[in-house]
Amino acid sequence: MSTRTDRVVADYLERLEDCLGTLPGATRRQLLEEIAEHIVEAREALDPEDEVGLLAILDALGDPEAIGEEALGAAPGTAPPRSDLFVPWLVLLGGFVFGVGWLVGIILLWSSATWRLRDKLLASLVVPGGLLFPVLLLGMGGAATTCTGSGGPGLLTVTHCTTHGFVLPLPLGIAVLLVTVLGPFLVAVHLDRVRRRA
Amino acid sequence: MVAGEDRDPVAQLRRGVAEPCVLALLRAGERYGFDLARELAGVGGLVAGEGTVYPLLARLRRRQLVETTWKESAQGPPRRYYRLTAKGKAELDAFVEQWQQFRSTVDAVLGGDR
Repeated sequence: MSTRTDRVVADYLERLEDCLGTLPGATRRQLLEEIAEHIVEAREALDPEDEVGLLAILDALGDPEAIGEEALGAAPGTAPPRSDLFVPWLVLLGGFVFGVGWLVGIILLWSSATWRLRDKLLASLVVPGGLLFPVLLLGMGGAATTCTGSGGPGLLTVTHCTTHGFVLPLPLGIAVLLVTVLGPFLVAVHLDRVRRRA
Repeated sequence: MVAGEDRDPVAQLRRGVAEPCVLALLRAGERYGFDLARELAGVGGLVAGEGTVYPLLARLRRRQLVETTWKESAQGPPRRYYRLTAKGKAELDAFVEQWQQFRSTVDAVLGGDR
């Protein structure tokens, strides 16, 4: 028994719901519920088909946008984009998606108003490629050492050892690895925390 | 907030006092959310519309300045009533005191050249 006036109410509530997109679920549900109750209550004094009366009720309630602004406590259009949700994880793990994921994360990061300049710089520099960076480093660091001995029995044995590849002294290597693994993790957690506070 | 409203001091003032005004409406006892919305919007100039009273109430509830109870109504579904908590009462009393000082200060400055 969906009448024309019921549809007007449904449209209004739908517009309101769109304006509350970033509110926590429970708060959003309760707000929608209360506004819906308000409309039901106000309509009790009216004929159910009285569209003019209904429009006056909705007009007194105000624009869904205005209610949304009050609820979000922010100017319209500054509601953070949904893509913010993925940014910390793209920056951390996106490198494994053909390296492009990280780049997408960085582009989303810089285009969002959620993070400040220093967060953006930090996330871009620590470290490029996210966790892909230490993984590549490990691959390169698997340096090979080959030794060739020359000489025979009774003679002086000369051994030549050569090391191929990119090598750091062991303690330094471990330190670099730790920093490049922990760094991106801490940065991702930091980005996520800033996002939640926004 | 509309862009121009940022620079409108009265609009900003209004935002600041809407919450304590809701608390004041609850001072005499618990009220039905619908009546609160109607009354607050009815006095004019305090809130943008009846609808914006609900997010405001949600904020007060989150700060534990008000609490809600359900009550059966004679006709129709149960109704959600709002009432002041002890914390809300203390906040309201503090605001009233500050407001009186603030008002006399502003009045004195504004009326200074008369």
